[in-house]
Amino acid sequence: MSNFRRSQNQSNPNKLNAILSTVIFILILNVTIQIWLLYAALNNALDNNKEILIPAFVASFVLFLVGICCIYYMPTGNTNSVK
Amino acid sequence: MSKKEENLNKNWKKDFPIEKQQATNVSRRDFAKFLTLVSGGLMVGSGLVTAKAYMYPKEEMAGEHFVCKKEEVPVGGTRAFVIEGSTIPYILIHLETGEFKAYEQKCTHLSCSVFYKPGTGIIHCPCHEGSFDAKTGNVLAGPPPRALPKLDVFFKENAVYVRAVQEEKIG
Repeated sequence: MSNFRRSQNQSNPNKLNAILSTVIFILILNVTIQIWLLYAALNNALDNNKEILIPAFVASFVLFLVGICCIYYMPTGNTNSVK
Repeated sequence: MSKKEENLNKNWKKDFPIEKQQATNVSRRDFAKFLTLVSGGLMVGSGLVTAKAYMYPKEEMAGEHFVCKKEEVPVGGTRAFVIEGSTIPYILIHLETGEFKAYEQKCTHLSCSVFYKPGTGIIHCPCHEGSFDAKTGNVLAGPPPRALPKLDVFFKENAVYVRAVQEEKIG
């Protein structure tokens, strides 16, 4: 039976390379935004501004979910390559 | 070729049975997984900050506290004080304009002791050259991310008292 994983793994290594690089790029972007969100939340918490805390946490959570979803698209390696 | 080298040539492939391409794939995959783990950690950290702020809010100072007599602090002078039952150090500043101001003595950057520079209207932090406005507590220069927390100063005849800042009601 053919599925997403199998057909992905059969694609050209260049394509897999591009997919993996893109996934890593998105993850780094996510982590950067999350660091910024955490920094902003911490500063505002210490300043007694609570309005920003829950939105920052929700945004961080959404970015984490995006990261988890990206992991699904990560290729497991081209099984078609010559051993 | 010596026997040792021969042996090495014969066996190294057995010792490292992973193809180069696979090896790079593995490490990048692991890197991506690690990034997701970091992402999860940051999410949890953000959650902890939020939970702490809502469940254990910073307690406001209750009541009014006597600091000293007006004439004990000359113009441009300061006086350090601590509220009973608390360990937070404060300073009372007698500005050149005649006003009295009270601020927390801990710099908002890394909690160094700040001091008032007489005649300049600036509260200075010597650790990393942070400067605060002595009238408002706002940051003027340097690395501090927030204004200095302040207390309301009021007088009863000749005595200087402080209390928590009354919330300004907007609208």
